[in-house]
Amino acid sequence: MADLADALANLDEDEVRRLVREKIDAGAEPMSIVHECRKGMDIVGERYKNKDYFLSELIISGEMFKEAMAVIEPMLKAGQQSDPISKMVLATVKGDIHNIGKDIVATLLTAAGFEVYDLGIDVAPGVIVEKLSETGAPILGMSGLLTPSFESMKETVKAVEAAGLRDKVKVIVGGGIMTEMVGKYVGADAFTNDASEGVDMCRRFAREGK
Amino acid sequence: MIKETMTSRERVEAAIELEPYDRVPVAPLMDVMFASRHKGMTVAYGIAHWKEGFRAIVDVFDEVGGWDAMILPGYSLSLPPSVASGVTAVLTQGAMIFPGQDTAVSEDSQPQYGETERLTVEDYDEIIELGWRGFVEKNRERFAPFAPEKMIAWTKRQTEQYTKEGETWAERGIPSLCGSIVESPLMFLSTKRSLTAFTMDLHRIPDKVEAAMDAMVDEFIEHAVEGARLTRIPGVMLILERGGGFYYPLKIFERFEFPYMKKMTEAFAAEGLLTVMHFDQDWTLNLPYLLDLPKKMCVVELDSTTDIFKAKEILKNHMCIAGDVPASLSSIGTPEDMEAYCRKLIDIVGKDTGFILSSGCTVPADAKFENFKMMIDTAKNYVPAH
Repeated sequence: MADLADALANLDEDEVRRLVREKIDAGAEPMSIVHECRKGMDIVGERYKNKDYFLSELIISGEMFKEAMAVIEPMLKAGQQSDPISKMVLATVKGDIHNIGKDIVATLLTAAGFEVYDLGIDVAPGVIVEKLSETGAPILGMSGLLTPSFESMKETVKAVEAAGLRDKVKVIVGGGIMTEMVGKYVGADAFTNDASEGVDMCRRFAREGK
Repeated sequence: MIKETMTSRERVEAAIELEPYDRVPVAPLMDVMFASRHKGMTVAYGIAHWKEGFRAIVDVFDEVGGWDAMILPGYSLSLPPSVASGVTAVLTQGAMIFPGQDTAVSEDSQPQYGETERLTVEDYDEIIELGWRGFVEKNRERFAPFAPEKMIAWTKRQTEQYTKEGETWAERGIPSLCGSIVESPLMFLSTKRSLTAFTMDLHRIPDKVEAAMDAMVDEFIEHAVEGARLTRIPGVMLILERGGGFYYPLKIFERFEFPYMKKMTEAFAAEGLLTVMHFDQDWTLNLPYLLDLPKKMCVVELDSTTDIFKAKEILKNHMCIAGDVPASLSSIGTPEDMEAYCRKLIDIVGKDTGFILSSGCTVPADAKFENFKMMIDTAKNYVPAH
């Protein structure tokens, strides 16, 4: 019988549902079940890096993780949720309404242990700066699929600077048409068009910030 | 300036048929977005006013001294006059949010994809039972709540406009490559179910998804062939994005995408129609499979995320490649960056034959005019080392 982490890594939906229920019924500590699920997601990430898995497997495992969390979360004690490896603010920038890439990354970041403040799509620079100030999040992820999003990202980075937060916040931009040229143009610290790589970059930023 | 010894049509045909050309042809995927903004209209206005919007494209053509071909002749749709084709188009277009039609998208934005679950998981059963035509006719009011005669009038008007666009270019000696547009079944279902839901469908109910695709593909082929016949342009654009190696492993591609690509391209070739495969996202992993598609009857159109140099290595004796000036280069690069990139493409991908220099996907709405012109000029002026 596979353990929970293996079942998740092998994308076995029925087995993950059964094991989560079994562990809850046996009185397992809810946070330990979360950790097992995260271990499964880490294995998925490794398989993706090794090119055994593709974006589809990131999506499937992400959906499985969300389903498991929906069962476990109500049982977590107050405060247990708020022990993230880092906070981060995530948004699709002003003028762009694409949500798919951002949503996949939000799920993967949450599974990796980040506390994600997902501001949605078409988000103005001021709203992003306000959330960074309010939460103290040291990482900002901006998503965009269209070329006009470059200007919005640039404006947002300027707004972060104007608010005196730039030296406290690492900025990563992501989307299908991101290139090194775009990353430099908008003033980001990192760019990616790969969801899993984006999570690794955020992990690195979180480690550097500790 | 290169001494030209061929007409635009001869040059483009040579590239497609893998015969020598006097220079690399250039054919941007130009629609109304960039042209409208360049001519001082909002994108919303250009979309809503076909004559002015199409005129803007022609004006841009004249302003840069012309190019060699239109991949699509403009921005109308080519549709057989039927409720089924109208509903299919509305389902596809309905996922697009156009400037001026929704407050979520500004008047001067380019159309954006608002991906929601327009088809449900329960719809697969009905598609399998009724076929695609039967399914959309039965569900017409759900997807397109217009009277059937209004729907048919709309399809006729779109096709008339499309035909007129093609004729306008033909009068100038400029061929249009695609007389109709169609999505692969995978692309269609993924964008109408949404990427996440469709990916879960492939994981949970693969046999049902495959059966639905089988029930759709022949009618998709019929629509595309009929559209090309009506517009009298012997080619089809096959829209592909979601089935490639960026999203899925080869076992998914081999079962759910490639057999349908093969069936469609072979059916089009049998009708004498060229297939322009519009590949968004990275298909590098899938390139070797394209050798099994009809030789010299397909163009692989890349958007800069697929490795175009690898594509040349693999496909150079089999099919023409078009692309792949990155959107970011057009919008935030410099003319010098553009020239250097186009020269590299001409040197390597354009070597001998089999290449059409083009924008990677459509010319972005916010492309800089000087960058766009540089792409055209480089094709006309740059003498490659080989």
